[in-house]
Amino acid sequence: MSRGVSFLARRAGFYALAAWAAITLNFLIPRMMPGDPASVMFARFRGELEPEAIEALRATLGLTDGPLWSQYLTYLSHVLRGDLGTSVAYFPAPVSEVIGVGLLWTVLLAGTALVIAFALGTLLGALAAWWRGGWLDSTAPLVLSLVGAFPYFWLAMVAVYLLGFMMGWFPLRHAYDTGIRAGPTVAFAASVLHHAALPAATLVLASLGGWLLTMRNTMVGVLGEDHVRYARARGLPPRRIFLHYAARNALLPSVTGFGMALGFVLSGALLTEIVFSYPGQGYLLIQSVRAQDFPLMQGIFLTITLAVLGANWLVDAVTLILDPRTRR
Amino acid sequence: MKPLPSRLAWLGPCLALACAPAAPERPGVLTVSKEQQGAWVRNFNPLLATDTARWPTTAGIYEPLLIYNTIQGEWVPWLATEWSWEGHTRLRFVVRDDVRWSDGVPLSVDDVLFTFHLLRDERALDAGGLWTHLADVRACGSTEVVFEFEKPWVPGLKAVASVPIVPAHRWREVEDPTHFANPDPVGTGPFTEVLLFEPQIWELGRNPHYWQEGRPAVEALRFPALPGNDQATLALIDGEIDWAGNFVPAIDRIFVDRDPEHHGYWFPAVGSTVFLYLNTTSPPLDDPRVRTAISHAIDRDLVVKVAMYDYATPSHPTGLSDGYRSWRIEPGTDWTRHDPEQARRLLDEAGLLAGSGGLRRGPDGQPLDLEITAPSGWSDWVRAAQVIARNLHEVGLDAHVRTYDFSAWFDQLQRGDFEASLGWCEEGPTPYEQLRGLLSAQSVRPVGQTAVRNWHRFGSDEADALIGALERTTDEAEQRRLAASLQEIFLREAPAIPLFPSPSWGEYSTARFTGFPTADDPYARLSPNHPPETLLVLTRLEPREGAR
Repeated sequence: MSRGVSFLARRAGFYALAAWAAITLNFLIPRMMPGDPASVMFARFRGELEPEAIEALRATLGLTDGPLWSQYLTYLSHVLRGDLGTSVAYFPAPVSEVIGVGLLWTVLLAGTALVIAFALGTLLGALAAWWRGGWLDSTAPLVLSLVGAFPYFWLAMVAVYLLGFMMGWFPLRHAYDTGIRAGPTVAFAASVLHHAALPAATLVLASLGGWLLTMRNTMVGVLGEDHVRYARARGLPPRRIFLHYAARNALLPSVTGFGMALGFVLSGALLTEIVFSYPGQGYLLIQSVRAQDFPLMQGIFLTITLAVLGANWLVDAVTLILDPRTRR
Repeated sequence: MKPLPSRLAWLGPCLALACAPAAPERPGVLTVSKEQQGAWVRNFNPLLATDTARWPTTAGIYEPLLIYNTIQGEWVPWLATEWSWEGHTRLRFVVRDDVRWSDGVPLSVDDVLFTFHLLRDERALDAGGLWTHLADVRACGSTEVVFEFEKPWVPGLKAVASVPIVPAHRWREVEDPTHFANPDPVGTGPFTEVLLFEPQIWELGRNPHYWQEGRPAVEALRFPALPGNDQATLALIDGEIDWAGNFVPAIDRIFVDRDPEHHGYWFPAVGSTVFLYLNTTSPPLDDPRVRTAISHAIDRDLVVKVAMYDYATPSHPTGLSDGYRSWRIEPGTDWTRHDPEQARRLLDEAGLLAGSGGLRRGPDGQPLDLEITAPSGWSDWVRAAQVIARNLHEVGLDAHVRTYDFSAWFDQLQRGDFEASLGWCEEGPTPYEQLRGLLSAQSVRPVGQTAVRNWHRFGSDEADALIGALERTTDEAEQRRLAASLQEIFLREAPAIPLFPSPSWGEYSTARFTGFPTADDPYARLSPNHPPETLLVLTRLEPREGAR
């Protein structure tokens, strides 16, 4: 296993380098955008603000024209200390506080939806391949790809309108009932589940097809390989062939995809959070871009980057377990 | 669709547990949708130039000396009972003596002085640029405050009177007021107690010491986080919101018809007038005949129909909104009338004759192609610009619409690097701000230099003399006479093309509360989007008897 450990250590070094590159790009890209936050903020008033106010805004936000490299050094030292700066759009709240508000909800909603979609999609894909040409194989990929091909916001809005607004089965917005105080109570947990149900269901529905197809197609390939044929010829129980020889090998590409998707969970299910007024990270991201809120943008991208890298490292570890070849 | 049933099965128990209706409101709690946010961030600092404090920080928690009522066209005494000019540089206020802060401490002249000194010492808080005009603020006795201006500037009343007053006894200890989030506000306003603050909902309760006897009648205000217009509209239709200030499409059908007895809206045309600014430094737009012709070519009825869903009305010829109804003069000839024939005649007269293909060329024979710019994403303006471009085509002027990201667009506008652009105009209690922005030669900057106003770069020395006189007179009859002369210059020179005044968005439901201003009872603006005027409404609303 020491080979495995050194493999993981080498990967960690690589990810550290990737993190530095990402942090640097994170610093540069927002600064290449035209305009500055003060004038964007001024814009929101559509003439209701004295034109002179723009100077006061610049002074408040501490916008400086210092040389780029000195801004970069300050930025790096702050990031290392965990200080992400002050948000512009939510001035004077610190970025870490603004991000903290939505992070948990995003992880809860998008994370749960991803796990469900991955598990369910992969299982269905594997079964579809196993009974190739059966009724599951002929309907599920077709129907789910069709649903997945709808524009997501449309799917979500139809769900809100029909099941939330018309039928009244699901709440129209928010992560839990605003009449209930947050706390470790049954009522609160039930409310959270009730509110997450519809957005999570739309997310699962939209992404299920992808997982299913990936798994099915890999699985079909694996099932045709010699070792599976040999296993059949030796008369191994079908259940054992399905789980240990076919599915386990076919799972590898899906696991890689899952790792990527896991990292991107933190970017929030942007459209879901907007359509369902879910207090997560996705809406913050849009808001920060609109307001040219560099510190908030950088903070959000930083958490996304670190999450993607972290998730990839985890995938490396899982691959190590699933695929003995990587251990050699 | 296979996975759905299994998911619903898993949901069964949750549905049974939590199937209660959306929000069990307590009686007397008014639900408001004004800001569109995905999650609330706690900030109650009324002086931040960034205006990132939660609504109604400057319209409910903190209060100014006076409130200007746009609908009634008058100043309402608030924390000051009286005000007067002494000469044209000294402004005197008598501060109300029966006001207490929400922590029980009485309001004093010191609080007023402290607030204005804070603006002087922290320029970042002085959003109105007040201290570029002010020389001194001092107390006079125990109830009076005197403001000394550097030179006569009567319109400065607005800048002084609208500043929210903060408590000296609390704010003195604040280390950096420019970065202060003021999480637990102490104010003089009707609502000061933060009862609840969570990312998706917060509530603001009554001030236990409010100075208006028996007011406010509303128990508390409640703010659900709604990230966008669609969500706010849905909540409004659903009856969850009592008062809102957002744009609602097809409002009669989707909102009023749902509950005609209780649902209502009022969109008075008292907002800033939207103009088509023509760069008067760039020929042939320097010719008033060409500008007038462009104005005649525009079908404003179509513009407001397409761009504003008929919620707005075409502008008055003077460009002054309904908020300045009593100031407007009636013109002899109206160049805002849709008259393509007259437009063609004027363009011919100006030497812009049609070349081959029917499109007009400049006097030098060069083909003309007017670029009309608007900020991308401001869909109402973009639609208006598209209608205008089509209208201009009809009289032989080639024109096209181009949208830019807001900062880029605004930068070009300010530097005079544009041909034609949509834009707003400045607002104030009198037409002074608007007319100054349209006509003042003093505010003209050379192309390439940033101009805070007068982007079209039109200046009239005659207008400057009148504007100067307007800054020096407190006599209302004289102010009206001067404003009328300025409007005459506007009508003669056509420095910019008025399109339509922006409506002031406001919707209400009287199912639980009464007392909202309406067209029949226009005591103030219904729209919550204009602090501090909102105070006039917040102190008038009452819970309906027997309502849930």
